[in-house]
Amino acid sequence: MSTTLVDLHDVQGNIIKAYGRYGFPLGRYILFGVTQRERARAFVSALTPSITTSAPWRNGGSLADGSAIPDVTTNIAFTYHGLRDLGVPRASLQSFPDEFAMGMRARRDILGDDGASAPEHWDPVWKADEPPHVLIWINGRDAACLERRYREILALAAESQGGVQLLVGHRGSGGKDDLPYQEASAIYANGEPTSKEHFGYTDGISNPYFKGSGEHESNVVGGGKVTLLPADTRAGWEPLETGEFLLGYKDEALECPEAPIPKLLSHNGTFLVYRKLHENVRSFDDYIAHVGREYPGGPEALAAKFAGRWRNGAPLAKFPTEREANEFAVGWADAKAAITRAKSRSEREAAKRHFAELNMQFVAFDYNRDLEGARCPVGAHARRANPRSGLEFGQTLAFETPGAISNRRRIIRRGLPYGDSSQRADSGDHGIIFMALGASIRRQFEFIQQQWMNYANDFKLGNDKDPLVGNHGQNESGAGDGRMAIASDPSDSRPPFFCSKLPRFVETRGGAYFFIPSLTALRMIGEGNIDPT
Amino acid sequence: MPNKNGNAYGLTTLCPLSNDSQRDESSAAIIRSRLRALDVDENSPMAKVPNTYMCRLFVLDDVFYEGHPAHSEQLKSKYLVFVADIHGELRPFLQGMWQHAQSMIEQIWEYCIGFKQVHSGSDFVNYIEKCQVPTTFYFNGSTDEPLAEQLKALYVKQELSKFAYANQGQDAAALQRAFKEFMVRVAPTNLAAPTWRAGASDPARATTGARS
Repeated sequence: MSTTLVDLHDVQGNIIKAYGRYGFPLGRYILFGVTQRERARAFVSALTPSITTSAPWRNGGSLADGSAIPDVTTNIAFTYHGLRDLGVPRASLQSFPDEFAMGMRARRDILGDDGASAPEHWDPVWKADEPPHVLIWINGRDAACLERRYREILALAAESQGGVQLLVGHRGSGGKDDLPYQEASAIYANGEPTSKEHFGYTDGISNPYFKGSGEHESNVVGGGKVTLLPADTRAGWEPLETGEFLLGYKDEALECPEAPIPKLLSHNGTFLVYRKLHENVRSFDDYIAHVGREYPGGPEALAAKFAGRWRNGAPLAKFPTEREANEFAVGWADAKAAITRAKSRSEREAAKRHFAELNMQFVAFDYNRDLEGARCPVGAHARRANPRSGLEFGQTLAFETPGAISNRRRIIRRGLPYGDSSQRADSGDHGIIFMALGASIRRQFEFIQQQWMNYANDFKLGNDKDPLVGNHGQNESGAGDGRMAIASDPSDSRPPFFCSKLPRFVETRGGAYFFIPSLTALRMIGEGNIDPT
Repeated sequence: MPNKNGNAYGLTTLCPLSNDSQRDESSAAIIRSRLRALDVDENSPMAKVPNTYMCRLFVLDDVFYEGHPAHSEQLKSKYLVFVADIHGELRPFLQGMWQHAQSMIEQIWEYCIGFKQVHSGSDFVNYIEKCQVPTTFYFNGSTDEPLAEQLKALYVKQELSKFAYANQGQDAAALQRAFKEFMVRVAPTNLAAPTWRAGASDPARATTGARS
C-alpha cells in the first residue's frame, strides 16, 4: 500500500503543526460575528492569503512558498451559525452533523457543563444566545509580531465596512470582562517558555500520528495505534488512518466518515472544539498537599497518580517511582544540552539520536503489563483520555486490533495556557485554551468527555469521574464529592488508597464547535461559490 | 464505435496535473481557482470556440473510496478533466479552440505535465490526443447539425413562439402582414444574425443581431 497523499498546502496549519513546538509561545483567539453577508465574504477572501497551511517548514525555506517558519501564524474556523450567515447553501448546512449544528451550549448535558461550568458562568462573549460566527487564532514568536498581525486583521475587518463585527467580552486579569480577544501564552520559567499548564503538569505530550501528515515517521511511536508487537518498539505502532482527523479519507472503520456536501467543502477540513477551561489551582494545591501527606508516596506521587504522568511528563507506566522519573528527567535534560554542546557533526548526530531515544520513553508504552493499574491507575487522566490497548483488559485479540476502541476516539490537541496563576488562588482568570480537532466531534471529543472523563463504566470504575477534569459535584456540606481509587501493587501487602471529596478542579468558561475548512473550501466560502447539488 | 455519434464527437481528456506547488498553494488548487474565475454562459471563453455544443472543465482529485472491503487507492496525480460535445471532427475543433481561446488554454493547462512543450495549435491537438480516453457508449443529445444551425433554430423557435402569443386573434390579413415582417426580421436562412448567442442560457440576453 502506497503512502496516503494529502495536499498539505490545502490543509490549515494548526491541524498538522503543533505551533508551540516551532517556537510560538503566544496566542490570541479573536471572535467575529457576521453582520452583512457579501461584505463578510469579502473579509474572508481578503484574509485567505494569510492563512497558515500545513505545508512542511524547513530551515532555509522561503516565506513566499510557505516553507519557512513565519513569525506569526493565522488560522480560521466557523461555527454552524457563521456558515449559515455567510450564505453556505441550505443543502450543505443540513449535511453537517447534528452536534455541530446544535453547538457546544446545546450539548452541555452531554459535556457535563453544569454547576460552575454552566453557560451562565461563561465569559460574556460566549454567553450570547447564538455562538460567535468566526474564530481567528494567531500564534506568534513574540508580542510585537502578534500585535502586528492582530492589527492587520482588525484593519481587514474595518475594510469590510460592517461585514463582520469584532466580538468583545473575554475575561482577563483584574476582573476585566470586556476584552476584545482571548490572550494565551505558554507559562514561562526563568525567562523561557515551558510546556507546563497551571497545575504544573507537562502538557501536550502525546498527539496522534496519522497517514499523510508529513510529520517525521518516528512520531508513530505513541502517536499511532498499537499493533500486536511490543509497545516499546517501533514495530509496536502503525499510523492511524487519515480519515480520523481529516474529512474525505478512509478512517479506522475503513470508510469515509460522514462529511458535509459538496465534497470540496469538507475535503481536507476538520472539526474543532474550543473550550476555555479555568483551573482552580488553590483547590488543587491544597488537595495534593493535604491528601498527599497521607498517601504513601507523598504529594508528588499523588499528583502523578491523578495524571498518569509525573509532572515532568515521565509516564507512570514506565517510571513508577519518583526517583526513576527524576533520574530520567536529569538524563533527558543532559541529552538535550549535549546536542548544543556537540563539537562535530557526527557528535551532534549521535547526541540527537540519543535524545530521540529518550523522547521515545515519554510515549512508547501501553498498559498491558499494568492491567490493575498498580503503576498507572486505570482512572488516571492520561489513561482515560487515551487508553491505548487498555480496553482489551489483557484479553489479546479481544478486538480485531488491540486499540480498536481508542483508535476511533483519538483527538488532536492544540491550544495554550492563559492567565497568571502565580498567586495560586482559585479566583482570577487562568487555565487552558483547550482545542480538540477531529473528523467527528460526537464520536471523538464528546464521547471522551461524556464516557471517559465524566463516567467510567468502560474502565470498570462505575461512575467515578476523571480526578483532574471531571465535573465533580458537591456533597451537602459543600465539599467536593469526587472519588478515585488508586490501586497498589498486587505483590505489595498495602491496601489500595481511596481519594474522596475531590472538588471540581477544572471549570468551563466558554467555547463552541467550529469547522476548519480547507484552503479550497475557504476560497469557496469567500466567493459564495458552493454548489451542493 | 467510441467518440462518435452521427456528426457529433464526444471528447474525454484527462491531463495529469503536476504535484508541485507555487507560493504555498498546490498546482491543482491554483487551477481550481482559475476555473472558478472563468466567465460563464455567453461570456465563457469557450462560447467563442466554433461548434462547441457543451464542454466541462474540472479538477479530479482522486478516485472515490467506497469503503471496506474495497481497496483504498490513490491516483499518482490529480487530473484536469476536459470533456466536450462538439460538432464535426476533433482536430479542426481543437485548432479552433487554440485560435479563439489560446490565453484561456495557457492559463488553465499551465501546470499540466508536458504542457510546457505546447506552443501552437498543432502542438495542442497532439497534446490533447495524447491525453484523450475513449468516450464509450457516446450519445449526442442534440440534433446532428453544426452549432450555428442549432443556435439559429433555437432562436427561430423562440421568436416564433413569441410571435404566436403576440398575434393571437388577429384577422388573416393582419396576421399575414405580421408574419411577412417576422420572416424579414428573423431571417431564417441567415445563420450569422440574428441568432441565439453561443453559450447564453438567459433568454433575455440571448438574442444577438436582431433589428428591434
